[in-house]
Amino acid sequence: MPLFDGLGSGGEKTAIVIDLGAAYTKCGFAGETGPRFIIPSEIRKPGQQQPVKVVQYNINTEELYAILKEFIHILYFRHLLVNPRDRRVVIIESILCPTHFRETLTKVFFKQFEVPSVLFASSHLMAIMTLGINSALVMDCGHTETLVLPVYECTPILPAWEALPLGGKAIHKELDGLLVELCTVDTDTSSGQSIPAIIGTIPEETVEDIKVRTCFVSDFQRGLKIQEAKFNLDGTAERPAPPPDVDYPLDGEKILHVKGSIRDSVMEIMFEQDNEEKSIASLILDALVKCPIDSRKVLSENLVVIGGTAMMPGFLHRLLAEIRLLVEKPKYSMLASKSFRIHAPPAKPNCTAWLGGAIFGALQDILGSRSVSRDYYNQTGRIPDWCCLSSPPPESLYEAGKTPPLMKRAFSTEK
Amino acid sequence: MASLLQPDKVVYLVRGEKQIRAPLSQLYFCRYCSELRSLECVSHEVDSHYCPSCLENMPSAEAKLKKNRCANCFDCPCCMHTLSTRATNIPAPLPDDPTKTAMKKAYYLACGFCRWTSRDVGMADKSVASGGWQEPENPYTQRINKLIEYYQQLAHREKQERDRKKLARRRQCMPLAFSQHTIHVVEKYGLGTRLQRQRPGAPISSLAGLSLKEGDDQKEISIEPAQALDEVEPLPEDCYSRPISLPEVTTLRQRLLQPDFQPAGASQLHPRHKHLLMKRSLRCRKCEHNLSKPEFNPTSIKFKIQLVAVSYIPEVRIMSIPNLRHLKESQVLLTLTNPVENITHVTLSASNEEDPDDINSTAEVILPNKELALAGKDAAAEYDELAEPQDFQDDPDVVAFRKSNKIGFFIKVIPQKEEDSDVTVSFKIRHDFRNLTAPIRPSEESSEAAVEAVWLTHHVELRLGPLAP
Repeated sequence: MPLFDGLGSGGEKTAIVIDLGAAYTKCGFAGETGPRFIIPSEIRKPGQQQPVKVVQYNINTEELYAILKEFIHILYFRHLLVNPRDRRVVIIESILCPTHFRETLTKVFFKQFEVPSVLFASSHLMAIMTLGINSALVMDCGHTETLVLPVYECTPILPAWEALPLGGKAIHKELDGLLVELCTVDTDTSSGQSIPAIIGTIPEETVEDIKVRTCFVSDFQRGLKIQEAKFNLDGTAERPAPPPDVDYPLDGEKILHVKGSIRDSVMEIMFEQDNEEKSIASLILDALVKCPIDSRKVLSENLVVIGGTAMMPGFLHRLLAEIRLLVEKPKYSMLASKSFRIHAPPAKPNCTAWLGGAIFGALQDILGSRSVSRDYYNQTGRIPDWCCLSSPPPESLYEAGKTPPLMKRAFSTEK
Repeated sequence: MASLLQPDKVVYLVRGEKQIRAPLSQLYFCRYCSELRSLECVSHEVDSHYCPSCLENMPSAEAKLKKNRCANCFDCPCCMHTLSTRATNIPAPLPDDPTKTAMKKAYYLACGFCRWTSRDVGMADKSVASGGWQEPENPYTQRINKLIEYYQQLAHREKQERDRKKLARRRQCMPLAFSQHTIHVVEKYGLGTRLQRQRPGAPISSLAGLSLKEGDDQKEISIEPAQALDEVEPLPEDCYSRPISLPEVTTLRQRLLQPDFQPAGASQLHPRHKHLLMKRSLRCRKCEHNLSKPEFNPTSIKFKIQLVAVSYIPEVRIMSIPNLRHLKESQVLLTLTNPVENITHVTLSASNEEDPDDINSTAEVILPNKELALAGKDAAAEYDELAEPQDFQDDPDVVAFRKSNKIGFFIKVIPQKEEDSDVTVSFKIRHDFRNLTAPIRPSEESSEAAVEAVWLTHHVELRLGPLAP
C-alpha cells in the first residue's frame, strides 16, 4: 500500500533510531512518540550462562564486531522487523564514546547491514529537541557514568563537560555490598542465613530489580542525617528511623530480607561528596562555572536530566535541593544567578534522548545531508568524529536533489 | 544426521569478505555465482510478518500501520504469556425495565499462567468476544507531533537555503543549463506544475521570485518552548514509613515492556498486542539472487527457494578414525555423497605449502590421486535392493565401498604435531558441477553451453580428534 508510505514521509521510509546504552538499548522508528523496545544491551551465546554485554570498550575490534553484529541482527529481525537496507539509521551516542567503538559500530551497519546512511547524534543535544528550547544544561545519568554537558543555542559547550563514574553500575555495586553485609535469607528449612552461604552471589538483574522496586532517594534533610550517621563512627549521630524491611522472594523457596536502612541509604552515594568535593550535584555547578558568563543564567534555569538512573523516586527533588545548597558555598560565589529550574521532558528520562533522536530522524529534509552516507563511508572507510576537523563534511559528497543513495527498492519486500 | 549432530568435524571454507569455516549443512550455494555462501555473507531480508500466537499472516503495509503487532492476540503484562478471552455471565438491568435484570454475556482477558485478568486493572468487560481492547495512548503525543512539525519547518528552511546556495553556484558556472533548474525551483518552492504549464516561456528570475514570495507567506509554525519548573514533586510523606507490598510494584522487565508508560504500580499494567515475528529471506550479496525464500503461509515450513549447499556440493563425512599416533601413518575412512542426479567426478588434492587457506592443519595427508566418480542420486534406488550397481571399476585400495550415490574411500594421515589439540587435516576437493536449473541465457549461447560443467574447488578441513594416548 504505497498510500501509507507517501503520507508525511515524502516517499522515503522512516529512519530507525537506536540508543545503544550501556545497560539498555532503546530502539524504534523516527517520528514516533516512544521507542518500540527497551531491551538489555546484551546477547546470549549458546552454551553460556552469562550473557555478553554489547557495550564494551576494552575488547578487541574483531570480537566487538561479532558481538555488535549479532545484537544489531536481533534488533532488526526480532524487534524492528524491517529491512536494514531501506532505512537510514540514527544512533544516539554519548560524547564520551571511544572512537574505536563507534567505528566498529559504523562498520557493522555499513558492511554487514548495508544501511543507506548513519547519523551519530549526541544524547545531550537530542534531549533538548524534545523540549523545543535551544539552551539547556543537560545531565545524563546513565549506567556507567553521569555526564553533564551544557548546550547553548544548540551548540554543546564541550570544554565545560563534567563527568563522574556514578550511575546505575555504582549503585548496583554498593547495593550488592550492603545486601551481602546486612541481609539474611530464609529458606524452607532454615532462616537467618547469610547470603554467600545460600546463593553465593546475587545476580546483577536481581540487584537491579531490588533497586528499582524497593529503593528510593531520601529527601535532602533526611539524606544529610543518613550520611552523618554513616560517617560518624562514634555513634553520636542518630539515623532517622529506617523504612520498613521488605521480604524479597529470590525464587520459590528463598526469601531475602532487604533491610529498610538499605532502601533509603543506597542512593546516597550519588550525593556524598568525595575527597574532591564532587557529587553529581556539584557536577552541574562545576559545568556552569566553566561556561561563558553570559550563558550561565539561561543554562541554570534550563536543567534537563535524562538517563535511567534519574527515574529513581525522589531523585530530581533531591538533586535540586542539593544544587541549591551547594551554590551557597564560597566556591561557587562567582555564580551570580542562584535560580535553578528543571524541565520535564515529554518522555520518561530513560527515553528522552531517544525521543529527541526520533524527532530529528523525522526531519527528512536534512537527515540525508547531516548523515554519513554509505557512499562516503565506502570511499573514505571512516566515520568523521564529532571533534574531527580534518575531514570534509559528508554533505560535500551528497547531492541534495538526488534520491538518497543506494536505496535498493527493487528488491525490497516491504511495499 | 551426523552432520547435524557433529557439526564442526568437517568444515568447508567460504571465501566471503571474511573467510568463514562452517559445516556444509549450515551453508548456502549460490548457483548463479557458483560459490558457497555462509549466513555471514548474505543479506537478510524481512519476507513476511505473522503473529506467533494465531499464526495469521499480516501484509507488511498493515503490519507497519499496526506497529508490528497482532490485532487479536494479547500478551499478559505480568508474565508475558499469551492472554485468552474468557466469557462470563453478568447480571445487567434490562433496558426497558431497570428493576429487572437479565444475564448478559461479558468477555474479559485472562492469563492462564499467572492468573492476571483485565478486571484487575479496572478495564471494563466487553460485550463482544473479539474485543476492541484499546491500548492507552501516550499523553504527550500531541506535543511531540507539534515539535516534529516545528522542527520540520526549520529543516525545510535549511534545505531551501542549501539548495539556493547550490543553485547560485551552478548558475555562475553553467549559465546555459536553465531548463532543469526551472523545474527544480518550481518543485522546491511549492508551486504546482500548473504555473509551469501556463507560462512555459517565463524567464527563470520571475518564477523564482514569485515562488519565494509565496514560500514566505506560508504560515509560520511556532511552538511554545517548554517551561522549566521551579519545584519538583517530593516523595510522598508516607514513603518512609509505609510498608511496600512487592506484588503491587512492577518489576523492571514489566516496566520496560511498556516503554511509553513504564508504570511503577501493577494496577497500571495494560495488556499489549502481541508482537509479530517474521519470516526471513536470504539474498546473495554479489548477484542479488534469492538463496532462500520461505513460503508465504506462516504455518508452512517449506521454502519457495532454498539453495542449501548440501543439495549441490558433494559432502565429505568421516566414517571411522583409527588410533592416530605421532608421525605414524594411519588410514581414515571417509565417505563422499553426491547430492545431484548426474555423475559427479571428484579429485582431491593436498594444499600447497604456501596456501593461505591452510592455517589449521596439523597433519600430513596422502590422498587418492585418481579421480573418484560418484553415481548420481536416485531417490528410488534406496528401496530397490536388486538394482544392479553401476560398474565403476574402482581401485579397492582407494575405494572401500560404494553404495548408490555414496562412496567410502581411504585417506592416509600422518600427524605432525605432538600436542593435545585435535589432529586436523585439510585438502582441496575439486568436482564438476552442472548447473541444470540455471536459466538458459538467451542470445548466442546454445542450451548445450548452459549445462556445460563448471569445475568448483572447495577447501575442506577435517577435525579427526586427539592423538591416541
